[in-house]
Amino acid sequence: MTTASFILRNTLRNKRRAMLSALSVAVSLFLFITLQVTLRELTIPPEDVGASLRIAVRNKVSLAQPLPFRQLQKIEKIPGVEAVTPFTYFGGLYRNETFTTFAQFAVDPIRFTNVFVEAKTSDEHLSAWIKDRGSCLVGVDTMKRYDLKVGERMLLSGTFYPVDLDMEIVGTYEGTMDDRNVFFHHKYLDELTDDPGTVGTWWVRAGSAEVAPKVVSTINETFSNTSAEVRAESERAFQMGFVSMWGNIQMLIDSICSAIVFTLLLVTVSTMSMAIRERFRELAILKAIGYRRHELLAFILAESLFLSLLGAVIGAGGAAWLFSSIDIQKLSGGMFIFFEVTHKMLGTAFLISMVLGVLAGVAPGWSVCRMSVVDGLKTLD
Amino acid sequence: MLPVKYNAGNVLLRWRSTLATILGISMVVAVYVVVQALAVGLQTSSANTGDPRNLLVVRKGSQSESSSVINLEQFRSLRYSESIMRDDQGQTMISADVLTLVNLPRKNGQGEANTMLRGTSDQGKILRPQVHLVEGRWFVPGKREVVVSQRLAARFENFELGQRFKTGPDWLTVVGWFDAGNSAFDSEIWADADEVRSLFDRDSYSSLLIRPVHDQGRAALMKQVEEDKRLQLLVKSEVDYYKEQTMTATPIKWMGNFLATAMSIGAILAAMNTMYATVGARTREIGTLRVLGFRRRTIVLGLLIEGILLCGIGGLLGCLLALPINGYATGTIGFESFSETVFEFTITPLLALQGVVFSALIGLFGTLIPAIKASRTPVIDALKSL
Repeated sequence: MTTASFILRNTLRNKRRAMLSALSVAVSLFLFITLQVTLRELTIPPEDVGASLRIAVRNKVSLAQPLPFRQLQKIEKIPGVEAVTPFTYFGGLYRNETFTTFAQFAVDPIRFTNVFVEAKTSDEHLSAWIKDRGSCLVGVDTMKRYDLKVGERMLLSGTFYPVDLDMEIVGTYEGTMDDRNVFFHHKYLDELTDDPGTVGTWWVRAGSAEVAPKVVSTINETFSNTSAEVRAESERAFQMGFVSMWGNIQMLIDSICSAIVFTLLLVTVSTMSMAIRERFRELAILKAIGYRRHELLAFILAESLFLSLLGAVIGAGGAAWLFSSIDIQKLSGGMFIFFEVTHKMLGTAFLISMVLGVLAGVAPGWSVCRMSVVDGLKTLD
Repeated sequence: MLPVKYNAGNVLLRWRSTLATILGISMVVAVYVVVQALAVGLQTSSANTGDPRNLLVVRKGSQSESSSVINLEQFRSLRYSESIMRDDQGQTMISADVLTLVNLPRKNGQGEANTMLRGTSDQGKILRPQVHLVEGRWFVPGKREVVVSQRLAARFENFELGQRFKTGPDWLTVVGWFDAGNSAFDSEIWADADEVRSLFDRDSYSSLLIRPVHDQGRAALMKQVEEDKRLQLLVKSEVDYYKEQTMTATPIKWMGNFLATAMSIGAILAAMNTMYATVGARTREIGTLRVLGFRRRTIVLGLLIEGILLCGIGGLLGCLLALPINGYATGTIGFESFSETVFEFTITPLLALQGVVFSALIGLFGTLIPAIKASRTPVIDALKSL
């Protein structure tokens, strides 16, 4: 019998307990991964190519405050600005839903395609959209979710605006960070709202990553001390602004994760020492026939590491498999889109399980090392 | 029936694994109680808001007061209605408020967040008796002054008395702090409605708050608003309106339930492990009990009581662990208002009870299988085991 198979046999001697221990590690790590994925989903930073060149311009007061349309000309003239589009959140309700499950933005179609270059759509769809003021472009995710087809109508009732939209879906797009959105003509919104001459935000694409910071500061300076001061920032910074609004929720999720890991530790340590204390007699015999302390400690550590790593494989691996194979968009009613388990999370989970395995093995291992052979042989339990 | 003392003694005998199980379950219950306390806190805050005598009018289709628009014409058509109560000076008790989101820096460099700036009137203050000044003075109409909620002042920069912050084209000076009795107004900054309208160049309002004369006036007013198709307004009791703002609390509740379910599976596994071990070590003892004439079901019941006792202690401990967070003020983004919502973690007796019951259930499910197994071991085998 090799050392490895000796350890394995010992581990699986009480199969029920081994299974229960590994499963409790698995459940906890599954939960840990789920929380981390949720947190990432809430705080996701855009990292694609388009985003690094893109700049969001909003009213300095807050996102809810509109910007005057006349700013367009000035922004366009700023050196380094490749393209700029109005970008106004409509916040409409689809069908009889009680909250907004996908966003709708009023944009200038031609300008929009120059700013959001990663949005892929066919030429046919694009030209149809540009031509018809009462039409809209719908993300593939929303098309799929509501089983929509090109040519159908999209009716939205306004929550911010006292108007309803009635548009024809003339095309779809994909390839952006969030393929759920609906884009429509800003002119259509202006018509319905008696043209207040305002937009929600401006979205700008800078010519290169080098000029982008300069463009940001120039836009900010251009409108400082005007009646509508702006806050221009990179798309990433803009998204991070939303993240910071979550406030203490992030902290809460983090502390729950710590509580889970702590609980896990308690339970695993307790099971491990139960398994070891049961075998005190045997271990004493091993000691008596000449096994060294560090060898016994190694047996125990290997056993506890094996169990906790098995738990990690089931729990973390299971989470990774589950979240990649289910349709999270459908299940969460459109609230979550990616729900992706990153390598970093898997790494953390395995690291936790390793630390756990070591810690759980150390305490009982220590008492085995210290016991005298005679005491060990006397143990009954 | 086995004496409970027997069970209690057994729980204490294997104190190490017992302690680990108790602590493990206490963590599960603590997490459950804390997350639910968050949801309860949010709900309490919206349920605390408003005066049952008032009616709130917003635009039909708007999801929150801040996204509602009431134009001057709509305001005028209701302003002098006979159904509105008059105050001592003969003024109608109606307040047209304007709400705007203002992005301001949090304290300690923790980023920025939207805050709710409410432009209101003298009537607005009278109609909301739960809001009262705790420091400084009220804003003076015609001046760029604001009074902020004490709770917000603890969370945002420049909210000390006498400090000022810039928003839009002008500076606003903080002249007072108010307390709104743990209601939604605790997440607001108040100023004079006309000041806010001129500051942001708005000619419309967001909502109307009305105190109708008695019940008939109330019914008449509601009928008038609802039947006038041109107005396109929604009228509701102020209390009901806020109570229904649950978009933020619902997902948190959902999260709490999910966490509790998943964690309790882990806890049941842990409890099972402990109970298997204690039952396994007592096989002989259980055999003896059988010989003495105790019936199987008595033994199962005894072990169940033991498991429930074990986990119940964990549950109680969990509630105690969670208790310090009761009343702790925190904030997150409100989904309806899209602004910082401040509220207190609220642990109600019901919630604590739920936590303990929950832990007892964990004990029940964790013990059931080991207990049945123990009671099924043939008496002779049990007595022979070491």
